[in-house]
Amino acid sequence: MANEVKKLRKDAYNCEECVIVPTADIYETAEEYVIRADMPGTRKENLDITLEKNQLDIYGRLDEELTSEESLKYGEYRLHNYHRTFVVGDGIDREKINATLENGVLTLALPKSEKLKPRKIEIKTEA
Amino acid sequence: MFTTYDVFDDVVHLRDLVDRFFSEAPAVRRNVEYPYVNLKENDDEVVITALLPGVMADSLNIQLIDNSLVLEGEKKSDVQDKPYIRKERVFGGFKKAVRLPYRVDGDKIEAGLKDGILTIKLAKAEEARPKKIEIR
Repeated sequence: MANEVKKLRKDAYNCEECVIVPTADIYETAEEYVIRADMPGTRKENLDITLEKNQLDIYGRLDEELTSEESLKYGEYRLHNYHRTFVVGDGIDREKINATLENGVLTLALPKSEKLKPRKIEIKTEA
Repeated sequence: MFTTYDVFDDVVHLRDLVDRFFSEAPAVRRNVEYPYVNLKENDDEVVITALLPGVMADSLNIQLIDNSLVLEGEKKSDVQDKPYIRKERVFGGFKKAVRLPYRVDGDKIEAGLKDGILTIKLAKAEEARPKKIEIR
């Protein structure tokens, strides 16, 4: 049993398909939802964000030199490509999604569609 | 003193085994100080990389003290005063010393911060470089 567990762990370490799920914050304002995710090592060109139906996928591919462990003498982290999926509601304006990547932090702004934005209701007073 | 065999002992043992597997898995194992560093080495230099997403170069202070490289800085909070649906990222100051395996040349240190990864290249001191020994 212990050996099998060891083998499982070894496979998990060496797996090619492994991805890192980046840590993320999500907050909401009156106009939009904002996702911020830590994805160190990701360049703009290697970032893919797709929204299909209600599924938002964030992929970040890393350059070979970042994931390579050649001549590594001491390690506390291991990098893989990034992938995280969020389910979004219907009230997103799909045309206006805005992404910026700065210092390894992705900021994704998902504007709410018009019908979801808060609006002030005028109170008509009878004259 | 006698013991009885209880099948639940095995179950508990199995559970411990599974727990240990997960607690030692890299994604969960976080018993090292922030930031996480890797150290690579080649003939002439030692290269240290650290994961610092969201940390600006001007809030970083890197020092070589004796045989250690000290990384000090702050990941400035970008938390907004808005309702959060999910909050996983952490912010704050940090200070970490990384012990170097070789003497390095203090005048030949290059540091660069790119895409949230800090790379520090330290040239090995002359006496730490490998020397080929001729056989006569």
